[in-house]
Amino acid sequence: MKTISKSVPKRDHAEKISGSAVYVCDYPTEGMLFGRLLRSSVPKANLLGVKLPALPEGYIYIDKNDVPGTNEVWMILKDTPVFADKTVEHIGDPIGMLVGPDEREVDRLLAKVEVEYEELEPTFDARQSSVVFFDYGYEKGDVDKAFEDADKVYEEDFETGLQEHLYLETNGVIAHSKDGKIHVHGSIQCPYYVHKALVHALGMPREDVSVAQDVMGGGFGGKEDYPSLLACQAAVAAYKTGKSVRVVFGREEDVEATSKRHPSFCNYKVAVKDGHVTGMKIEVLYDAGAYTTMSPVVLQRGIIGAPGIYTIPHLKVHGQSRKTNTVPNGAFRGFGGPQTFFAIEMMMTHIAKDLGQDPVDFKLRHVAKQGDLTSTSGKHHFPVPIPAMMDAVVKASDYYTKRAAYKNQTGRYRKGIGMAAVYHGAGFTGNGERDIIKAVAQLRKDREGNVEILTANTDMGQGLFTVFAKIVAEALSLPLERIIITYPDTARVPDSGPTVASRSVMAVGELLRRAALRLKDEWVDGQEQLIEERYKHPEWMIQFDLETFQGDAYPTYSWTVNAVEVEIDTYTGNIGIVGAWGSFDVGTPIDENIVIGQMEGGFVQSLGYGMMEKMTAEKGRIRNNKFSDYIIPSSVDFSNLQVMLHVEDYPEGPFGAKGAGELPHVGGAPAVLDAIENALGVNLNKIPFVAEDVMNTLREVSR
Amino acid sequence: MVTSFTPRSLDEAIRLRQKPELTPYTGGTDLMVNPNEDASYLFLHRVPEMKRIVEDGEYIRFGAACTYTEVIKHPLTPNILKEACLKIAAPAIRNAGSIGGNIANGSPKADSALIFMVADAKLRLCSAGGERLVPIKDFYLGRKKLDLRPDELLVEVLMPRHGLDNYYHVKVGARNALAISRVSFAGIMDIEDGKIRRCATAFGAVSDVIIRLDQIDQMLDGKTISEAKELKSAYLSAMDEAIVPIRGRVGIEYRKDVCMNLLRDFLEVNGI
Repeated sequence: MKTISKSVPKRDHAEKISGSAVYVCDYPTEGMLFGRLLRSSVPKANLLGVKLPALPEGYIYIDKNDVPGTNEVWMILKDTPVFADKTVEHIGDPIGMLVGPDEREVDRLLAKVEVEYEELEPTFDARQSSVVFFDYGYEKGDVDKAFEDADKVYEEDFETGLQEHLYLETNGVIAHSKDGKIHVHGSIQCPYYVHKALVHALGMPREDVSVAQDVMGGGFGGKEDYPSLLACQAAVAAYKTGKSVRVVFGREEDVEATSKRHPSFCNYKVAVKDGHVTGMKIEVLYDAGAYTTMSPVVLQRGIIGAPGIYTIPHLKVHGQSRKTNTVPNGAFRGFGGPQTFFAIEMMMTHIAKDLGQDPVDFKLRHVAKQGDLTSTSGKHHFPVPIPAMMDAVVKASDYYTKRAAYKNQTGRYRKGIGMAAVYHGAGFTGNGERDIIKAVAQLRKDREGNVEILTANTDMGQGLFTVFAKIVAEALSLPLERIIITYPDTARVPDSGPTVASRSVMAVGELLRRAALRLKDEWVDGQEQLIEERYKHPEWMIQFDLETFQGDAYPTYSWTVNAVEVEIDTYTGNIGIVGAWGSFDVGTPIDENIVIGQMEGGFVQSLGYGMMEKMTAEKGRIRNNKFSDYIIPSSVDFSNLQVMLHVEDYPEGPFGAKGAGELPHVGGAPAVLDAIENALGVNLNKIPFVAEDVMNTLREVSR
Repeated sequence: MVTSFTPRSLDEAIRLRQKPELTPYTGGTDLMVNPNEDASYLFLHRVPEMKRIVEDGEYIRFGAACTYTEVIKHPLTPNILKEACLKIAAPAIRNAGSIGGNIANGSPKADSALIFMVADAKLRLCSAGGERLVPIKDFYLGRKKLDLRPDELLVEVLMPRHGLDNYYHVKVGARNALAISRVSFAGIMDIEDGKIRRCATAFGAVSDVIIRLDQIDQMLDGKTISEAKELKSAYLSAMDEAIVPIRGRVGIEYRKDVCMNLLRDFLEVNGI
């Protein structure tokens, strides 16, 4: 283990454990106004009118007419309105906002608002939708010939469901209007995303708008795109009233109105010759919901990963994301990867079973090797450590013995063991870092020799401030206490890019390391110094073409192998997790405890995605909107995880680090489904797979 | 105007119960999920008779304001009730939530009420006009409908002292803690000298009220195990016909399958 990996106390530990941390909902509210959103109660309609009750003095209603700039939230595209214009597109679509000094009174008044709709025919099923938001595809080799030459062709369909982030802290912001300037702070994952949206919606100069992050209670991607919308709404109210406006959601509103993971429908056709996969034709469909938000990049990652970790010589991959009249689906840990990796892992397992081979052996025979072409005909520039990691997980879990022993069970309790191997491409897809983000990071040294880190990256509890400080301290050979890092404010930090895509440590951490080395060289005692570093694209990367999807989609990959053992109660359908093992390669861990915590947390979230977290919507209305009925794992459900770290250093990352945050949320679901298949002796194609599905499957098998 | 009260005696509590605007409050774990800021409460945690667990000749008497934790820790508590209470929510909620609230909430998913049902417990309801002892099965009239007059207070739960040792209990939740029952089942097979003295079953979370089909269960009363075996298929088909789940978070078919699977297992573990 490298010195830097040795764990230190997290920077946010004491304030969070002691309860002294100030979250957005903890600010004193004297003199503040409270905002509550008027939301559509129907999934699709022409908006005919809004009838307000008599508003007491100090209470005001704002809508699209009050947006001073453009009534658009600039995310990737600009189709999300700040407030609904002529139509509403999903239940919960914001129409306007009631603002006033007493939050309960605002609620009472809001209940009296009447909205007149002309209802239109909504679409809830992406497969039926005629509105295609995004359409991408790519090819490799000669896929038609591969199918012509095949001994056998397999075809299967796969489905994945919605997933809710369920961060402990709900979305919330406070917008201040003072001296013609707007300042917004709150539970914000990407301050500069919000800044860009505010400047556009308010029509104000960049320098008159600032955005700061407060202490945050989790994000998981759920505060990547959504706060841009919420901040615009609160800022419009602050602009109009000239006062501070606070909007903090309750749990039910947060679950009903904010983004989720895209549901997916995939079709895989696979050509096999001489027991080896030679070609695949893959169709991917993601349900985007009502607006595009993050859908293009989510879909890009989904289709690039659709053939999994395998070298498939002949490929044709096509993907769409389509509109439905449901809550827009956006960023969520894994970002389009968990859906297609679920599909490919199950597909490979099913083929192996049909060929009479063990799925682990079958997969190992297809795993990419260093130097191989990737799905998009880029190159695996670095070693692919899957075989060694697979070996470690097989040994730790006793996979082969159990897999054989768990065949053909008939008793009440049936065990199963399953395995999945996946990657997560580290950083932005393609040339995003170079062409769009163009990250800038700074170090500022004061006269006393303390060094402050200036980046826009946020700590949501994942540990970023701690690891940034460690990187800079190590490179400068300074004690950790001399490194200062605080919650970012766009007024005083450069745009180092968003805290997403498992990029922060790898991309921004490396800028900080280089800045620190320069500062060390140029260090002058007793003087203030400012060092700035800008992103440099690795020169060895094969240029990615977003039109053809050819080239290096990612500079490098983080890898993981997961095994899960279940015990199923066939009387109740209950799926118990007996054991779970994971080997994770995120390059050099910058802090071992933080990385292990991330791996455990993501692994649990992925298992929840596979066999527990079921979100049901009826006619566009989400039914389970509380902690008591949207079921996520508790600490006593999957308590026996075993996390192992495998280290393949990435030379372009700080001290060899690559992406970490999302990787563990990719492989758990296919691993646990494989285990359920092993226990029940069936093939499965859909997640989430919960107790009720177990009973349905047993009923079908017995018929 | 919010005015709440904390009576120190049962008399005072019953007197205050005459005020219809007061909501009886023991642990608050249900009431505080969506708190009504305009509500006035009758806090019952200082009424001695409602906070004690004692026994008399026939019954163990549980004060309705006793928390799950107090019930779990008390030496008089039968194991079947301990086990069910330990599966409720998580420690913090068990420290506050009460059995009286669990019963009077009227939910068919109430985990302690399931046990009181299968034990044929009685409820002591007190009002200024006097008191009455109601079998818990008769207390539940329908979906969220209780045989509880507006001026009545649930003061005690009287659970039979004997015949509860040979029990079977399963709670099916969507996770291992902090889970509302999706299906729950409790069975008691009190066997003496090779004969079934009392067979009792209760099914929770599958219908508007906890299902307690005592007339069908009585088919097995007084029978030997081998006699019960002969009656098994008639018993099971009577149950199969009588258990009619409704749709909830899980479907009708799922609930029915689980009920029948657990019922069959309950008989099998008792050699039937």
